[in-house]
Amino acid sequence: MEDIQRKESPLPRLYLVSSGEENGHNGGGLLLHQLSLLPRSLPCIVQIREKQLNANALLKLALQAREMKLPEGTLLLMNERADIALAADFDGVHLPENACSANALRAFAPELLYGCSVHSASALYIAEESGADYLLFGPVYDTPSKRKYGAPQGLEKLGKLCQATSLPVFALGGITPQNAAHCMDEGAYGIAGLSIFQDTAKLAETFEQFYLHVNR
Amino acid sequence: MIPSRPFLCVITDEALCPVTLAEQALKGGAAMIQLRHKTASGSQLLVWAVEIQKLCQQYQALCIINDRVDIALASKADGVHLGQQDLPARAARKLLGETAIIGVTASSLKEALQAEQDGADYIGFGHIYPTHSKLKESSPLGLDILQKTAVLVSLPILAIGGINQENAASVISSGASGIAVISAVSRANDPARAARELCRALNNRTL
Repeated sequence: MEDIQRKESPLPRLYLVSSGEENGHNGGGLLLHQLSLLPRSLPCIVQIREKQLNANALLKLALQAREMKLPEGTLLLMNERADIALAADFDGVHLPENACSANALRAFAPELLYGCSVHSASALYIAEESGADYLLFGPVYDTPSKRKYGAPQGLEKLGKLCQATSLPVFALGGITPQNAAHCMDEGAYGIAGLSIFQDTAKLAETFEQFYLHVNR
Repeated sequence: MIPSRPFLCVITDEALCPVTLAEQALKGGAAMIQLRHKTASGSQLLVWAVEIQKLCQQYQALCIINDRVDIALASKADGVHLGQQDLPARAARKLLGETAIIGVTASSLKEALQAEQDGADYIGFGHIYPTHSKLKESSPLGLDILQKTAVLVSLPILAIGGINQENAASVISSGASGIAVISAVSRANDPARAARELCRALNNRTL
């Protein structure tokens, strides 16, 4: 039953996390360039995660992203800040493990979609209790951006998480079109990436290759 | 409601537990607590905000959250205080509604007038005197600019920066509606007593 429900989730199967290197200057950033290159027929989740930016700059970036013509079904999510998500008319918020719970935010922003990063069983419990709409798990494989946080979690842990929850799980960390199928086999709902989407010359191609594996 | 009598706002100190400090400040008569912590996690901030809001209700004081409109909404705090790098006051107003209190930091007459136009309820104006609480590149504004701004801006002005028992009365005489302090209360041996003495100094304008 749960598997059927999972397949019916309206969420896109690909998930792009912004680089974390936006400088806040109007118009020049990588994110807006990435958004302009998204293949028309392939929707994805886009999470703006730019902790170095202040709220003012984040709102400006978010409003610019919102202004763009995006593939139908694409969802824009703001990292942690539900206030900025609302102010920019975003679709949701992604919550790191130490953020406010989804329930606390849903009380004033019921229309938003809430995702939770989950790295442990206790975090899963908290995320489910707080009414998360999806989970983000990683790093599955070794990836430069996460090396400072220790060893990758691996496929086995991804599989255990997917079995333990009925929520859609996005796998993150070192995933390529070549190894994406392994994550899907473990029960992942979709694939999230950061570095792999930064090669903008190949972005459309990367999307198309990923979609061959995630839409089986 | 922002108090009509000269009042004390105590801003929390990142080095100390904000709830303990808030309680001491409220005991001493602070009418506004601003929860300001730039490095705490969202869940930690929310816990603090809920506790401080509860305390503020007991003491009939205002609980204001720095920068984080989301935390203010989730904790049902009285309002937010926004720096120039935070969400614009207009965006915050849309989210918080008409009854919430929105304060905006201004360090010039121009910024103060802009904040008024953007629908702020009060202005945090400073720094008035030299201060060690934050590293400041600009020079202190002084009482003359405070006075000029207080005349030209109709909003209550909360003076900040280097204010202590000795100079509090002259800040009020120059047109401020209140004062905001960090270290003058947080770093005192007895924060409640320091707050009490500041409140007394605020209403002693014979100096």
